[in-house]
Order: sequence, then structure tokens, then C-alpha cells
Amino acid sequence: MVTIPTPAPAVEAIALRKDFGEIRAVDGIDMNLPPGRIYGLLGPNGSGKTTLIRLLMGLAPATSGTVRVLGVEMPSRSNLSRIGYMTQSDGIYPELSVWENLTFFAALYGQTNKTELHRSLELVELDRRAGTPAMQLSGGMRRRLSMACALAHNPEVIFLDEPTVGVDPALRVQFWDHFHRLAAGGATLLVSSHVMDEADRCDELLFIRDGHVLAQGTPGELRTRAGTDNLETAFLSFAVGSAAAESKETAR
Amino acid sequence: MNPLRVAAVFRRIVTQFRRDPRSLALLFVAPIAIIALLGWVLTSQQTMTARLAVVNESAGPAGQTVVARLQSVLEGQTGVALDRSVVDDSTARQMLKDKKLDLVVVLPPDFSLQNRKIELLTLGLNPTAEASILPSVQKALITAVADSAVGAALPTIERATIYGSPDATTLDTLAPVVVGFFVYFFVFVLTGISFLRERVGGTLERLLATPVSRAEIVLGYSLGFGFFATLQVTLVLAFVLARLQIPALGPVPAFAIGLGVRTAGNPLIAYLLVLVLALGAVSLGIFLSTFARSELQILEFIPLVIVPQGVLGGFFWPIDQLPGLLQPVARLLPVTYAIDGLRQVMIAGADLASGQVLLDLGVLAGIAAVFVVLAASTIRREVA
Repeated sequence: MVTIPTPAPAVEAIALRKDFGEIRAVDGIDMNLPPGRIYGLLGPNGSGKTTLIRLLMGLAPATSGTVRVLGVEMPSRSNLSRIGYMTQSDGIYPELSVWENLTFFAALYGQTNKTELHRSLELVELDRRAGTPAMQLSGGMRRRLSMACALAHNPEVIFLDEPTVGVDPALRVQFWDHFHRLAAGGATLLVSSHVMDEADRCDELLFIRDGHVLAQGTPGELRTRAGTDNLETAFLSFAVGSAAAESKETAR
Repeated sequence: MNPLRVAAVFRRIVTQFRRDPRSLALLFVAPIAIIALLGWVLTSQQTMTARLAVVNESAGPAGQTVVARLQSVLEGQTGVALDRSVVDDSTARQMLKDKKLDLVVVLPPDFSLQNRKIELLTLGLNPTAEASILPSVQKALITAVADSAVGAALPTIERATIYGSPDATTLDTLAPVVVGFFVYFFVFVLTGISFLRERVGGTLERLLATPVSRAEIVLGYSLGFGFFATLQVTLVLAFVLARLQIPALGPVPAFAIGLGVRTAGNPLIAYLLVLVLALGAVSLGIFLSTFARSELQILEFIPLVIVPQGVLGGFFWPIDQLPGLLQPVARLLPVTYAIDGLRQVMIAGADLASGQVLLDLGVLAGIAAVFVVLAASTIRREVA
């Protein structure tokens, strides 16, 4: 018998919890994500997706629990150079040109290779707009610039917080093709979304609600477990199941 | 600390500012316009002729001699107009109320050579303006009383100053102080707004997701704004200190650019003081931007942060003359030390060998250091 060694997880969380005063935004999440795949973080608005990503990156202190990214316990400033982060807002400087925005963020990551930077602009098809001030870009172009800034340093782990919000369908396809290329190259991607029709493009899904992971698995597995073809229905059935378990627990 | 990352932040601030001509204009044109206006008002103030009358209430011969002498001395003086028609106390008081007179010299009923008490009566509505008439009248009085008193010559009083000159204008003493105050004001407002934009616009979140440290951000910001503060101080100091005569050309009459304020000290030391002050202002701006949610709220900090420093910092009144409770408050404000240092350097000609200047520089550096730490501590305390 051949034992297949399980690869070290790219992202690992143990009993992760975050309270904002009375509100428990993340409630004891465990996760273990092997590298080289695209993980979809799905849940309604306010389910704790952004908070979870910020905890995983070490941008906010956890109330309790541990996070390791690429084997390094977070928060770790030096480890951030191996991580890419595309925020929900564009997070670019409107006065600066496309090229100036890209070189600024790349310099903070220590990436100063101009050829590589030009290549990352080509990937998001902004190479002809290098000199344009960011404030003159369309919404979709700003999203693309924001993505180029997050990926310019060739990160091994990439967190993308609602990357396709406000992006037209054609561009959305391009984004996902790009994500798959990155995963094929060995990168681990965690993509948050509240749009279920994007879920099928992920290798594995995590359904999140009220700071809990409701269910985890490939889109196919989750459909089978819920006994439905529709992921949206699947999400709702897991949500109902967890609510029932919770009320049983309180009753006891 | 990675110099490349600090340089990246510095370069970004400079580029951003170059793209924002309005803020650049604010930085350079506004202080010069305001200082020029101040210079204009202070140097070309209308000289008011003080209208006065002498009233003799005493019956003795001494009083009459003094009055006659006083009147002739006062008439020979510039800036003073004597109204000889007013002779009794009640008319004089009424004319003061009607603003037909500015000052009345009253010789009380018991006036004699032994009891040379003279009353100077003014309206009391604008003490500062009224006080400005007093010296010329006092001088005339002393002359008159001395002349009429046999063998009782009073010493003549001459004005002298240790620093500057007795005829130094208000502008000469105020200009160096204004320079420091402006830099503090503009650097605070501009950093506050820039950093607020970082917080609100989501770029700070993104900065913190990179390996850049808080110290590198604060240092990069300080260098960026320090750069503009340097340009601003250079330009404003040049405007204040230099005076360039522009000859008449066609219909344009000759005029002068710059105020030509006399300075005793080394402008480089003055610049050093202002730069340390500006570094404190950068960190203060970053720190206070935590408590603002919009640009408007940054401006709302001006009455809270800038105005008290203008009132208490020695700008108008010396610290020692402040009410006892406010003196320790004034000694906590950075502008207090900048103003003191600038006066020491530019008026008294002190250099780095002066303990006072070193103390001012040291305190300013200390205050800046405290705010650097405070600013750095607020950078990560963000709730998404």
C-alpha cells in the first residue's frame, strides 16, 4: 500500500474566534486548506467573511485561536510578502497613475522587477493605460488594477475579498481563468463571494454563516449531501440543519 | 526598517501632491498672501492724530504755569491735536463720550508744585488703542512739569532695547513667529486629511497587508511632508527676510516684493526649529485622523488644536503674563517652544550655543517623538 503524504496546509485555523464587544463575528472556526486549490468562502453579507480573511492575514487580532499561513503563525509581518490581498474596496490611490499605483505596492512587497510588473499589467490588460491616473479609470479597470496590485509580487497564498463585485460577466470569466492559472501554478486562493453562481468555479467551498463554517467540500459533494442540484438550496438546507442542531443544544 | 519601503512611501506622497495643484497652492501661496497682508497692515497703519484737551481744575498759580507750558509743548508735537476751546471738566468728559476727544489731561483741584498729580483721562473702550497715545502725552507732561518746577528737574526718559532696535516694528517681531505657526497649521491639516483618506479609502488596509511597518509608514509620511515643509519654509522665510525692489515699468509703478524683516540670527537654525515642529505636526495629523470620519471633521480640529496654540503659545502675550493656571498648559504646547526658539534666533541672534535654543529644540523633538509613538499606535487599531 502506498501512503500519499498529505501536503502541509497552506492556510490553517484552529478554534479561531473574534468578538467585537457583544457580537461574536467569528465563532470557533477550524480550517485546513491544502495548497494549490481555489477555495470559495460563501455566505450572506455580514456572515463574517471579511473578518475571517482579516484574521487569517493577521490584520486584526483574534480573540482566541491560532492561524498559520504557509506554516508560519500569524500575525507575521515578514510572512505578508508571501501573501496577496485584494480588498473589497479598490484600495488604490486615485491621484496616482496605474503604473505608479502598481510600482508603489510592489515596492512595499520588495518587487522591483520592471519586466515582471509590466507582465502583471498585461495580464489584467491595463498595459496600454499605464500612464492614466486611476481616477480616470472605469470601475472594471479599477478592479483589475486592484488585482494587479495584489498579485504583482507573485504571492503563494492569495486572499480575494469579493473580487468580482461590480465586474461585468465577460471580465468575470477572465478573472476566474486567471485564478485557475494561478492555482495551477501552485498558489492557494481563498475567494469570498455572496454570489452562488460563482461557487462552481471553485475547487472547494466553505459555507459560512454567523461566524460558523456550515459545511465544507467540493461543489459536487455538497450537492450530494444536501440532496439537491442547486447550491443555493444546499446552502439553505445546511443553514436550517445547523439552526436545528443549535436549538437542540440550547434545549438540553 | 527597510529604506526601500520608506522611500516608496515618501515618493508616493510627493507624487500625490504634485497631482494636487490646489493643495500645493494652499501650501505656498496662502502663507505668503497672509504674511504680506499682515505686513501691509502693520507697516502702513494709519497714523491717528490724537485729539486732546487740557483742563485746569486747580486755582493756584502753579497750575496755570503748568497748563500754559503743557499746551505749548503739546502743540509742538506731531500726532497730537490740542483743542484749546475745552476748559472745564464736564465739557471735556462729554466730548470724550461723543468721541470728539481722545484724551484729556486734568490738573486736579489740589494740584500744586508739591503735589504734582496729573490725571490722564481716556474713554476706556479700547485700552490698546488709547495706550498708544499715552507716550507722547507723558513725555510732554514731564517736560512741562519739569520746566515749571524750580530746581526740580525730572530726568528725561529715553527708550532703549537690548535686542533689535527701539524703532523695530511689530512686523519685525511678529514675522518669525508667523512662519512657525503657518508651517504647523498647514502640515497638520494636510497630513490629517491625507491620512484620513488612507483610512477611509481602503488604502491603509491594503498598506497594512504588505510587510511595511508602522514606523516605516510614519517615517515615509514625515519625509514626504517634511519635504514640502522645507520648500514652504524656504519660500516663506525668503519672502519675509528679503526685499526685492521692482522698478517702475510703463504704467506699473515701482513696488517691492518681500518684507525685508531684519533678522539677527542664522536662518538655518530657524529652519531647523520649524522642521522639528513640522515633524510633530505630521504625527499629530496622523494621530488625530483616527478620530475623524471625514475631511470636515479634520477641519473641526482646528479650533481645538491650532487656535489654543495661537492664543497661549506666546504669539500675542508672553507666557509669563498668562493666568497662573494656563501657564503650565502653555508649556505643554509645541508652538510655545517654536515661537520662543524662533524669537531667540531671529531677534536675539542666538545660535546653537545658546542653552535656550537647545532646550527649545530638545522639547520640540521630544514632543514630536511622543506623537510619532502615538501615531504609530493608532495605525493598526482599525475595525473593518
